Amino acid sequence: MTQSEAVAWIAQIFEMAPDQLTPDTHRDNVPAWDSLGILTLMANLDSDFGIVLTDEDIQAVKTVGDILDVMRRYGTFTSTSS
Amino acid sequence: MTGDSHKIFEGKTIVVSGASSGIGRAIAVHLARQGAGLVLIGRNRERLEDTAQEAGARVCRIVQLDLTDVTAIIPAVKETVAVLGRLYGLCHAAGTVDTLPLSATGPEKLQAVMQVNYVAGMELARSVTRRDLLREEGGSILFISSIYSLIGKPGQIAYSGSKGAVTAGARAMATELARRNIRVNVLSPGMVRTEMTERALAGLSGQQVQALRDMHPLGFGSPDDVAHAAGFLLSPESKWITGANLVADGGCSAQ
Repeated sequence: MTQSEAVAWIAQIFEMAPDQLTPDTHRDNVPAWDSLGILTLMANLDSDFGIVLTDEDIQAVKTVGDILDVMRRYGTFTSTSS
Repeated sequence: MTGDSHKIFEGKTIVVSGASSGIGRAIAVHLARQGAGLVLIGRNRERLEDTAQEAGARVCRIVQLDLTDVTAIIPAVKETVAVLGRLYGLCHAAGTVDTLPLSATGPEKLQAVMQVNYVAGMELARSVTRRDLLREEGGSILFISSIYSLIGKPGQIAYSGSKGAVTAGARAMATELARRNIRVNVLSPGMVRTEMTERALAGLSGQQVQALRDMHPLGFGSPDDVAHAAGFLLSPESKWITGANLVADGGCSAQ
């Protein structure tokens, strides 16, 4: 998976078009990224990639780039650009 | 009620499942007469086309879909929005009934009924309410349940369970989606004469059918009776109503 594919995956989770998100996009600017949105993200990271977020991961995730960092850390993708 | 209420759905597109016959068809026709654009979902294309013709909606798309295949629902709804634009609402009228005693209601029978009545309904709602598919100002979701979600009758274990699940699930959904101004309601009809219920009645004795009739002080309902109530719950005229279960049963449950 490339970074752009990962961003598209995140966009799909939050029901947005991929071009609406960049690594700098903050959760405050993603309408679906609320407490229930976090649960949706957690459920999909687990079902699609086997990633189970820790409490620390959850606290640290504030931007799309933070989610990408988590996915990178768990080996979902290794590239740093699209 | 406003003077132009007959066009209250003008500019609004509503997905109707189970639109090929019975209650679903009557609802689709009723909504179209009030100006709604329609997305008609069902298994039988010819019958959906008959519904479309009867409805005469200016905006109408037929989606041939077997709701036992839930993986096809989101792609179909996305494709529809790409063509018609964002949606206003959903009416999940598709349903199946399998009148069987407990001894014959094995897991496969239960799952088959749950799949169409409950799982497909929830998946349709999940699709239609996606932020990129529903109108940003909100919308209206309606599930057609049954008074059998509230009262018990022999042979209706799978059906009652599935409709109870719909009613309870919709209530939770209403609380979750209210902040997006999406209303979620349930309509629970009593006995309505449709092809589906005729099949169910065919399995009963004359005495049992008469007993059922006696349960409804206003007699059995027609699909149009349900459609009028559905139109109200889907329309902006019920904009302060969410999480409700409107019983339309000819007085059955009032006794």
